[in-house]
Amino acid sequence: MLTNWLKIFLYQIKKNKFFTILNILGLSIAIAGLIFSILYWNDEQSYNSWNPEKENVFQVVNNQPRSGFLAYNVMPLGARLKQISPEVEEYCHFNPGYNGALIEYKGKTELVKKILRSEGNFFSFFPFQFVKGNIKTALKEKNNVAISEETAQRIFGNEDPMGELIKVGEKNCVVGGVYRITGKSSVEPTAVLREEYEEEIKRNADNWGSHTSFLVVKLKDPSAKEAVEKQIYQIYIDKQAKGNAKAKGISVEAFLKNYGVDIPYLEQLKTARLHSKVSNGYPEGNGNYQFLLIMLGLSILILVLSIVNYVNLATANAIRRAKEVGVRKIIGATKAQIVRQFLFETVIITVFSILFALVIVELLLPYYNEFLSKNMAMHSGQFYLQLFLVFVITVVFAGIFPALYIANFDVLKVLKGNFSRSKKGTWLRNGMLIFQFAIASFFIVGSYIVHQQVNFMMDKDLGFNGSQVLDINLNEIRKEDTYEMIHNELLKIKGVKEVSSGNFSFGSGGYFTTVFDYKGKDVEIENMSMQFGMLDMMQIKIAEGRNLSPAYASDTISSVLINRATAEMMGEKDPIGKEFRFEDEGDNPGIRILKIVGIVEDFNTYGPQRKIPPILIYHMKTISESNFLSRMYIKIAPENMEETIAAIERFWTAKVDTKYPFSYDFVDKNFARTYEGYISQRNLFSLLNLVVILIALFGLFALASYSIQSRMKEIAIRKTLGADTKTLLSTLSRQYVVFCIIGFLIALFPVYYLLNGWLENFAYRIDISLLPFVIGFFLLMLLTLTVVISRAYQATRIHVLKYLKYE
Amino acid sequence: MIKIQNLSKVFRTEEVETKALNEISLEVKQGEFVTIMGASGCGKSTLLNIVGLLDDVSSGSYKLLGQEIKGLKESEKSKIRKQNIGFVFQNFNLIDELSVYDNIELPLIYNNVGASERKKKVEAMAERLAISHRLRHFPQQLSGGQQQRVAVARALINDPKIILADEPTGNLDSKNGNEVMELLTDLHANGATILMVTHSDYDASFSQKTIFMKDGIILSEKLNSRNVNVLA
Repeated sequence: MLTNWLKIFLYQIKKNKFFTILNILGLSIAIAGLIFSILYWNDEQSYNSWNPEKENVFQVVNNQPRSGFLAYNVMPLGARLKQISPEVEEYCHFNPGYNGALIEYKGKTELVKKILRSEGNFFSFFPFQFVKGNIKTALKEKNNVAISEETAQRIFGNEDPMGELIKVGEKNCVVGGVYRITGKSSVEPTAVLREEYEEEIKRNADNWGSHTSFLVVKLKDPSAKEAVEKQIYQIYIDKQAKGNAKAKGISVEAFLKNYGVDIPYLEQLKTARLHSKVSNGYPEGNGNYQFLLIMLGLSILILVLSIVNYVNLATANAIRRAKEVGVRKIIGATKAQIVRQFLFETVIITVFSILFALVIVELLLPYYNEFLSKNMAMHSGQFYLQLFLVFVITVVFAGIFPALYIANFDVLKVLKGNFSRSKKGTWLRNGMLIFQFAIASFFIVGSYIVHQQVNFMMDKDLGFNGSQVLDINLNEIRKEDTYEMIHNELLKIKGVKEVSSGNFSFGSGGYFTTVFDYKGKDVEIENMSMQFGMLDMMQIKIAEGRNLSPAYASDTISSVLINRATAEMMGEKDPIGKEFRFEDEGDNPGIRILKIVGIVEDFNTYGPQRKIPPILIYHMKTISESNFLSRMYIKIAPENMEETIAAIERFWTAKVDTKYPFSYDFVDKNFARTYEGYISQRNLFSLLNLVVILIALFGLFALASYSIQSRMKEIAIRKTLGADTKTLLSTLSRQYVVFCIIGFLIALFPVYYLLNGWLENFAYRIDISLLPFVIGFFLLMLLTLTVVISRAYQATRIHVLKYLKYE
Repeated sequence: MIKIQNLSKVFRTEEVETKALNEISLEVKQGEFVTIMGASGCGKSTLLNIVGLLDDVSSGSYKLLGQEIKGLKESEKSKIRKQNIGFVFQNFNLIDELSVYDNIELPLIYNNVGASERKKKVEAMAERLAISHRLRHFPQQLSGGQQQRVAVARALINDPKIILADEPTGNLDSKNGNEVMELLTDLHANGATILMVTHSDYDASFSQKTIFMKDGIILSEKLNSRNVNVLA
């Protein structure tokens, strides 16, 4: 039986080479797309899935008045919570983000990144597998350090690191354990240190004001989440609201009403990667769930499109095979046997498509990994199980319908010979064609809107000009008083035009925020301390008042600049000359009276998709909390850039930082990274758009071919009766134009709704105009007419007799 | 072998009701060769389709090999058909995509005959019908007479109890038509039961009995007394 089926199948393939190839190609591309999405999906879902504590570990995040959800916590919170809460088993504060440090062992140093400073019980929250030592003893002593297998390999080679003394930065530590991270984790440190961080926690044991630490808690029972949230909230009332209310001289109720207090929220580790309320609540960051869904949704849509093509072609082709099926039935084939025969064909096609899809994925995976900054591969039983599922689903949806359709042919009608013009099944094929038009419209219009938004973002005036400006991020912060020397030495280098420094970055904004009171209003600003000349170098415009200048003695003591967003938040129409009280929490703590001398035009610091925050700009010396050097900004001439940078490097490694290798970034490139994700989305969407249009056009082409084929006799009769080419063309094309319009109308609402949702991501967004729809419609119509008319034109060239003689 | 009593077949469309067969009674015994004749639309093809279990009965009774057919399910009919009936059509109805060999083999596959036995049977049948040298060819490469012989081979391969032939010479020239008729006569001589529909008096003369139909009823029956052997 199988050989017989195979013979027929091969014959059909040979006869319809072109369509078969396009069919397999369409399915392959669609399946490859789905495989890509599945890989992405698996990778994101695998985060923390290995962690046996994922249900019980929660991160404390806070919905802060004005700022929204942030993962930063005050340092005394953990200890206080443990005291009052019977539900909390353990807590652990750790540093937000990793640090890099030089690790020294027997005179040899290695620069190690991603070192985590944490309290000592970190591993009971992230129980990595220990290859040397164990979870309990790894950080037992205060000066213990636990290192990853790779770090051990780098520093010790093949020696046994256990108990060895190493120097991490300035600290002497003893290696207490070596761990291996077996799965994706929200925290993947190369080394974990406890002493420094625990000392810092101790120092801040009564600091209920500064939010500077990440905090995870382990609950005895995850369902106690809400209860613990309430307990934390009560702590905030007691420790924060009460004191602040007293300081302002108002009641606690009035304080809560006017100023508000953090509202804590416990976020389960299990869902932290994809469903977090905060961005970057863990050092390894978040997954982009929206993008993941877009990817998955679009790839499923493309697969549906390809399956629709397959079904359409199979049912159209079935008419040609009606006689074969009729004869088989007369000879004794049961319906089930016919169904199985056609399913068999679908199985073969699908197997081929999947194999080809795997080839495509294998070839493109490196680019895809680069695109998503991941390291994914096709392995794991889970993946192959999913692939099998894709196979089954494809076979069922692509195969069952045509097989049933064919098996239900009425034998008598088939054998009487007038079956080929039967109307049976055409409504379904046309329905599917309309569906395809709808999807194609969705993609064309959607893709155009995405393009518009991304271009809008890229063309937007950022408020600063970062070209030719180097951004050197210091590996270790320095005292401010070394600035003069570095500044003067750098200016001596040929090609260096301007030098300044600022404690903020174009791309990730200021380092910390401060709240000050202005006429009874809380104003929360980002601190941007800098050296003179910084704003001029970045071409940031002064809107009112004056820039800071060394000519005024007060400009290193009390003069500040604000941006327009700050003025708005202060609710002050004429802020120039106004004063306010500002609390300095640095080495020289106290209240400073600051005076606004100028307003700068808003400039972007986080990327063009994010709203510009209120910013306070002052000289480094003004506020001790911000009085250090962390970044140098150097503007260089475009000529001989390589030489200039080489000269800067020579100076830098000789005079400024002798330990670390020199590294720098260009401000404009660094800033562009904040929205490169959206550029990738745009490019991906364009690529998918192309694929979808090609697949849809192929479907249209095939269907038009078949449909016109079955109308050949009609065409011949019309021609004999005197119809000219023009009338024939319009007769043949009319229905497709109608389908195209219906499909387009169906797509209107989804495209508007979904793209509007996508645009919500952007603080500065375009409004959806009529243009994308008009362009999309005409493009679709043009493509449709091109395909259909080319087919129809061929049909009108036929030799009339050939079709009239038949029957 | 075939026993039909008061059988009617009504075709309905939204507006018209056509009685294709009107209270027909007919019996074909084992080993008989019966021809049905009549003008176009007299109902003879409908009768043949009903006998071949391709079409349903509106009323009356149809017994094949003593079993009542009316009311059987599609799958049961399919089973009876593949075990007992061989078809020969005017337009041959060979599957163009399969070789002569594969075409003849097909009924054996659907009757679950083993591969080695299939091969033996197909080759024996091809020899009997003198198409052995054509087994690797495709239907389109053969003459009409040869194609019809392949169709007959396929109809016979399963040793059916009855052969139904629907104008088997209708698409053939007289020489090829004659060949096919002689083939059927041979089969009959060897004991086959044959029911044939035709327009041709000449073809009908090969059979034992001719039934004339008009407007869905049987007008008359006539016994033929032709001695084939003498003319051959």
